[in-house]
Amino acid sequence: MQRLLLLVDKMSTVVGQIFAWLIVSLTLLITWEVFSRYTLGTPHAWAFDTMIMMYGTLFMMAGAYTLSKNGHVRGDVLYGFFPPRLQAALDLTLYIVFFIPGVVALCWAGYRYAGESWMINEHSNITAEGPPIYPFKTIIPIAGIFLLIQGMVEIVRCVICLRQGDWPSREEDVEEVDVDKLKEMVHVKDEDIAKLDEIVVAEEARRP
Amino acid sequence: MRKEVWFGLSIMALVVITVFVLMPAPSQMTNGHLGLLMLALIVVAIMLGFPTAFTLMGMGVMFAWLAYAHANPELAIQQTLDLMVQRAYSVMSNDVLISIPLFVFMGYLVERSNLIEKLFKSLHLALARIPASLAVATLVTCAVFATATGIVGAVVTLMGLLAMPAMLRAGYNVKVTAGVITAGGCLGILIPPSVMLIVYGAVAGVSVVQLYAGAFFPGIMLAGLYVAYVMVLAKIRPDLAPPLPLSERNVDMPTDLTAIRSKFGDKVLPAMAQALRDPAHAGVPSRTVVREMMVATLPALVFIVLMGLTWHAITKPDIVTDTSALQQMGAAGDASEKTENSGLSEPPAEGGAQGSGLTEPPAESSAEAPSTTAGSTPAPATEPSAAAPSPPPVPAAKSEAPNAPAAWERLSTPTAYWIVLAVGAAILLAFYAMFNFVRFEIFKLLLASFFPLAVMILAVLGSIVFGLATPTEAAAVGSFGGFVLAAVYALLKLPPEKRRAIAATWIPLWLLIGASIVWFLLLKFEVVESGPPLWVGWISIGAAALWCLMSVFQVKMQQTVKESVFLTAKTSAMVCWLFVGSSIFSAAFALLGGQEVVEKWVLSLGLTPIQFMILAQVIIFLLGWPLEWTEIIVIFMPIFIPLLAKFNIDPLFFGLLVALNLQTAFLSPPVAMAAFYLKGVSPKHVTLNQIFAGMMPFMVIQLIALALLYIFPGIGLWLPNTLYK
Repeated sequence: MQRLLLLVDKMSTVVGQIFAWLIVSLTLLITWEVFSRYTLGTPHAWAFDTMIMMYGTLFMMAGAYTLSKNGHVRGDVLYGFFPPRLQAALDLTLYIVFFIPGVVALCWAGYRYAGESWMINEHSNITAEGPPIYPFKTIIPIAGIFLLIQGMVEIVRCVICLRQGDWPSREEDVEEVDVDKLKEMVHVKDEDIAKLDEIVVAEEARRP
Repeated sequence: MRKEVWFGLSIMALVVITVFVLMPAPSQMTNGHLGLLMLALIVVAIMLGFPTAFTLMGMGVMFAWLAYAHANPELAIQQTLDLMVQRAYSVMSNDVLISIPLFVFMGYLVERSNLIEKLFKSLHLALARIPASLAVATLVTCAVFATATGIVGAVVTLMGLLAMPAMLRAGYNVKVTAGVITAGGCLGILIPPSVMLIVYGAVAGVSVVQLYAGAFFPGIMLAGLYVAYVMVLAKIRPDLAPPLPLSERNVDMPTDLTAIRSKFGDKVLPAMAQALRDPAHAGVPSRTVVREMMVATLPALVFIVLMGLTWHAITKPDIVTDTSALQQMGAAGDASEKTENSGLSEPPAEGGAQGSGLTEPPAESSAEAPSTTAGSTPAPATEPSAAAPSPPPVPAAKSEAPNAPAAWERLSTPTAYWIVLAVGAAILLAFYAMFNFVRFEIFKLLLASFFPLAVMILAVLGSIVFGLATPTEAAAVGSFGGFVLAAVYALLKLPPEKRRAIAATWIPLWLLIGASIVWFLLLKFEVVESGPPLWVGWISIGAAALWCLMSVFQVKMQQTVKESVFLTAKTSAMVCWLFVGSSIFSAAFALLGGQEVVEKWVLSLGLTPIQFMILAQVIIFLLGWPLEWTEIIVIFMPIFIPLLAKFNIDPLFFGLLVALNLQTAFLSPPVAMAAFYLKGVSPKHVTLNQIFAGMMPFMVIQLIALALLYIFPGIGLWLPNTLYK
């Protein structure tokens, strides 16, 4: 079971990470366009549509990846204090009450929305002769399906946690604040911090 | 289970029960009541700790369906789905939110460029003489670094690792230390370019450009208040923040410079000049002296070039050759119209265009100034630079020889320019009079750490605020700048031989890239008549692409870039999915008419605008204790924003107050993220309570800043009003 869960995690991660590289192409595209427009005086009409599509695809496809790494923002005030079983019970309920209906609706709505767009062969109307927009709209149901699959995995995790009493493990990923890496970056070792502790204790002692 | 769990759960149960008791019986329930129910439920649901984006989405879908089912049960599902997907798509194609991933990417790249250590060291040496110097250095480091990165957690952690040991060792009080680091680390959320202002702009429909312009001075003010506070504190209670011991102020001097100093005295410029004249006596290779001399004269050089270009640009009369060329192409070869155009195409006078200096127009058109052409003139005249590269049609060019650039004389220079020049020159003189070798060494340290970041931030911000580029464009170029910064700092870490070898491949490429940019800047300052030709531009682009590819492998940037990319994806997905959820939610809320109920209720209170404003800020302040800023802005702002019009409050001003207010959300327990990050890297005898206690004075300062901004709205509104109204 655990292997299957990790496999799905892996899939979401790989998909999310592949699309994550769009940020590089987005940066380069806009930088190039800025140079081309301002310095050379040759703007490109399609650049704006392309930018928007890259941005939209990037964050939509990273939704499941973020979910698999538990990266979506939570109201942490109480949740953090809860024991794992209660966390899992709450999560399980809310996955079924909010997540499944919401995401299924998004998939279905997105599917029809994209279908209409394919049917009329829709093109962007921001500029004259804009690029086709139907592939971009197709991203909505695709991202929704990945999200749904990842959501199922999370539900299974909740059930496992309810049974075992603690959360099953996840795969490691790059963290926003990776304390060890940051320590290494500024050349601080744990011993240094321990040494610092003596100063703190000494200061406390001096104070009444 | 523990007490706090029961406490929390019972509060939530209480809220739910109260709401149900207060609700009218189901038979009398209107949609408006449903809307309020939805609002109460969402607060409870968020507290339960489920990912907020999906809570919002799920609840939004259900209540939207309820609202539609009330009106027309058959179409309800259909309409709900349409509403939902349209809302999702509008977030996907939002041209404001697109700058979020770009700014986030820039932040991660800068964070990983590993320059905070240098930054802190150089600032701490530079500020060694002032009271509470370490605390001030920490605040300034935080302000600059947090502004560039915008990542609170990383900045607080890094400063906890760097500044905390330094401050504690110097005998600083633990609470003061903790307060300075946490408060400083959160400044990046307020000082633009910040992601929070983009999110607010997208929610409230306020231009991000104006928000950035408006938030600049309040941000500086807040940082200034922090600095003032620690300085006053150090004066009153030196035991809490003692001055720096002399051993910590020591600046390492290279041997060459020490040699020069011992022979020719401590003043940098005279000493260097003598060393240059008499290299044998100095005993230092003249190459080194020349290099140091160039660094030393850098401020003067920059000042002279800038003032010279400005003088050139403002005294140069407006030449119409370019515009008339454009108009002639537009005028499709009608000879008589051409001459009229060339005469009329005087661009609108702007300050510098005092009558005497206008050497044109040619006499031939003076007799006829029909209004028909006047209408057509302004439109093409607005973009002379775009037309610059294209040569005017040959016959027309001949007939307009008098318009050639050689014919003009300089305009008289405005007095303001001379004042700026005099003040700048005086400052420079004073600077060089005090410029000894220790200061020179500190100056070099700052040049390698503080100035690159400051220049990058100011360039990004300046180009946005002065309307030269959109926030998206500036963010993308900023990300590129972040990459360059990271690459250069990675290069500086390498051993010297390797560094030299790599630099030898980089510099030619940079020169090729720089050629176009310098050319473009000269065009902007009106030194040259046209932009770089296409082929020069393409060479620069090619060089830039080649440099990017090479540098990634040469200085091993793969890991940095990869991690930044993945983190960017996660952070942007977090913010943007929250946005998808909240826009579905607020659509449902509006459908149910919840907005009207809230509006009616607020209006029935009969508040004055001031009371309403204070009430709103108090609510946001209180929400900041349990919630994070993202949730507060995307969920609660859509409820406040429509009310602003009723009270005649400028949403821009409101946004600035909210941004300043939400600073407190980071420092207010129990969800004060900053405190937990700091706790993670502090010695174990530093308790969370000490950190919280240290943050309190800074929270008070934030409230003072809020009051100041409220009493003197000019602090925030002056810049946007001057620039855009």
